[in-house]
Amino acid sequence: MLEVFGRRPYLVLLVMALLLAPVPLLQLNDYILHVLTLFLIFAVFATGWNLTLGILGLKTLGHHAFFAVGAYASAMVSHYFGVSPWITIWLAALIAALTGLLIGFPILRIRSMPHVAIVTLAFAEIVRLVFANLKEITRGELGFWGIPPFDPIQIGETTIRFGLGNAAGSFAVAAIMFVGVHLALLLLLRGRCGLTFLAIRDAEAAAESLGVRLAAWKLFAFAISAAVVGLSGAVYAHYVLILTPTSVAGPEMLISLLAMIIVGGVGRFFGPIYGALLLTVTSELLRDFGDFRMLLYGALIIVFVFAAPAGIAGLKPRFSRKETETRKTVEAV
Amino acid sequence: MSATQFIELIINGLITGSIYALVGSGIALVYGTTRVLNFAHGELMMLAGYGVLLFAVTLGWPVLLAALATILIVMLLGAVIQRVTIAPLLKREDWAFNVVAATIGLSIFLQSAAQLIWGEQFQGVPYFFNGVAVIGEVRMPWQRIAIFLVALGVMGLCALVLYRTRLGRIIRATAQDAEAALAVGIPSGLVHTAVFAISAALAGTGAILLSPLVTVSPWMGASYLLKGFAVVILGGLGSFGGAVAAGFLLGLIESFSVAFVSTEWSNVVAFLFLIAVIWARPEGLFAGRGA
Amino acid sequence: MLRLEGVNVHYGATRVLWDVAMEVGAGEIVAIMGPNGSGKSTVLKAAMGLKKPSSGVVSLDNEELQNKSATLRPKRGMSIVLERRRLFPRMSVEENVMLGAYTRKPSEARETFRWVLDLLPEIKPHLNATAGKLSGGQQQMVAIARGLMANPRVLLMDEPFLGLSPAMVKTVCSIMQMINERGVAILFNEQNAKLSFSMSHRGYLLESGRVVLSGSGEEMLDHPEVRRVYLGIRETAA
Repeated sequence: MLEVFGRRPYLVLLVMALLLAPVPLLQLNDYILHVLTLFLIFAVFATGWNLTLGILGLKTLGHHAFFAVGAYASAMVSHYFGVSPWITIWLAALIAALTGLLIGFPILRIRSMPHVAIVTLAFAEIVRLVFANLKEITRGELGFWGIPPFDPIQIGETTIRFGLGNAAGSFAVAAIMFVGVHLALLLLLRGRCGLTFLAIRDAEAAAESLGVRLAAWKLFAFAISAAVVGLSGAVYAHYVLILTPTSVAGPEMLISLLAMIIVGGVGRFFGPIYGALLLTVTSELLRDFGDFRMLLYGALIIVFVFAAPAGIAGLKPRFSRKETETRKTVEAV
Repeated sequence: MSATQFIELIINGLITGSIYALVGSGIALVYGTTRVLNFAHGELMMLAGYGVLLFAVTLGWPVLLAALATILIVMLLGAVIQRVTIAPLLKREDWAFNVVAATIGLSIFLQSAAQLIWGEQFQGVPYFFNGVAVIGEVRMPWQRIAIFLVALGVMGLCALVLYRTRLGRIIRATAQDAEAALAVGIPSGLVHTAVFAISAALAGTGAILLSPLVTVSPWMGASYLLKGFAVVILGGLGSFGGAVAAGFLLGLIESFSVAFVSTEWSNVVAFLFLIAVIWARPEGLFAGRGA
Repeated sequence: MLRLEGVNVHYGATRVLWDVAMEVGAGEIVAIMGPNGSGKSTVLKAAMGLKKPSSGVVSLDNEELQNKSATLRPKRGMSIVLERRRLFPRMSVEENVMLGAYTRKPSEARETFRWVLDLLPEIKPHLNATAGKLSGGQQQMVAIARGLMANPRVLLMDEPFLGLSPAMVKTVCSIMQMINERGVAILFNEQNAKLSFSMSHRGYLLESGRVVLSGSGEEMLDHPEVRRVYLGIRETAA
């Protein structure tokens, strides 16, 4: 538990919330707010994925499918049926969760890592192709536009507006989602549920023999993880206001998110957040060298796998903890 | 469906299938022997594509010589990738995911590097074989038929090495029990490197055969990687023969799907088939015989 | 001949062997006895180079081997029969046995092959069978044959009696004695004290990764601690 959450997870989250709260009032320029908004959305995405990848230990490689499902579901329902995005984002999370259950079923029966990786990857490819091919309703790779932004909120005299171009409001939505999702997950994972996930990750057979209903728990984890990712996709859709299948479910999305999780720290609760921050900011700094972005991500993944497999989150405390661990086992033997 | 159409679909399926079989059997060989899933396998194809472009087009070498030089180079690259990026990770506890992550990183790195070096434009290689074969009422360019024949020949050669030579015997021994192989004195590390080189040769052959038809680009391998993986799972993880059979099967399924749905859905059909198989028979369609 | 000095082995952060010292002289049968999880197999793996010790010396005829690859051992006259036979399951029996001579010249291998078949005629009828399809006892014969193909001076045997029928245990026992009579030293491990020490010249008792007792086979069988804990004999005060 300590390794996953660190010593005081609620305090860490509180500090993050306090750091985020004053940002909209700082009169920062819109571009910086835009980058920070993207960071928050991707951080939620990465955390959601890390739930299966790192915390449950199920090496899925297709979570960009749930991002796409959430984004397109919310975008299409609000566009075609005129439902407020404030409602459709929850619907999108639900649909993503159901999709998660759907693909969770075949995966459950498999214990081999390569199978899981390949099946989830193939699933993401199916999702991308379906959105690309259903041109009548998604406009395919031409892009689905006309997505309504979140409805404005009136507080006294001031009206808060959202969507691209309304930086402060959009940032606020992303920040509230970010804090809310992480708080909810902490509450969930710090209890019995989290212990069960970790037990499954560390010793599947042992967990099963202790009476853990593996199948049900894995499905549950998959659904939660997909819902979180779907929610981030929905918020993304109502922020950027245009979607293409390749931009949300293509290989670049897979690589970017995988890089964030690996750089941040696979299986560390706060790891993906640091990874998302670092990579979103650097890739914006490198904006003028667009072609180098994927080169950098590829190199970062390799470097971190070799030099710091526990990611940024695992960098500092690793040494001290390892020592105490060694000492403990020495005494135990 | 007329008989001519039917024959054409079969021939097309076998041709697409031979590339899938080449790519998939290479991945299966590596997985079967080393338990490593190499996500940079597609980039070996891509580099072979640029290799043949360099030797056959830019330098104007004879096709056979260009192909041999290309295959030797990708074999060397495969061996280097194994030595430098994969072997050091195998000692770790969580090596399986570490290797997947590292090879994904390597794959995207090589793709973007190729894009920076050679640009985004797609480059064509002229046909190696001219003329059109006439089979009944079906007319088929020799270049496409050659894909099937050469692929079959190369995979046959590979099977011969695996089952009839000393190298093949120690590869199979390492695949079946790496520790026992080490205990009798087989240097399993070198065997792993050799297997990567053979697998790269198979990928390179696929890329060379494809290069006149699909044009060479930084992404030419990426699109075949997932198909190769699908083939490996369908064939029963790690089975060389299974992967070859599954490659042809997947090619035929895609080819025949065109008779029922439009072309852009054929990949969806192929991957849905994969998921259905995993659901019904997780051990694959042709399981039972490993490398 | 084979000597382990101060050998320590770790699995991750867990230490499984503590300063283990052992010796096998030419032509000896030496048993390592100990309860489950005491590190018996690890000693053999460390000796064979299949598990690298974190410190200590493994030497054969005074040549230090602990930092050398496992693949060198067969060339130096050392081979191992692994726990649960560990044959190459989808290869024929003959292929399995011949792979045991991987490090040797083909002509020498042929000669040893004849010698091995003389010694273990039971495997002759199965030479073309798939190894994985044989019974446990037959597989053990093949595994021993494969181990002998390196023409070893020391044969390590990891749990040679595991999962065998009582009749088969006797057969394997006599085969081990027969091999030993041809001048091959044997180091094996086994959980059963009586079986271990009654058929060995010398023995070691291993507990929690430490050698706690050693001596000749009879000495070990007569030791009060062994009798009480491992043979379940209660001594009345003498």
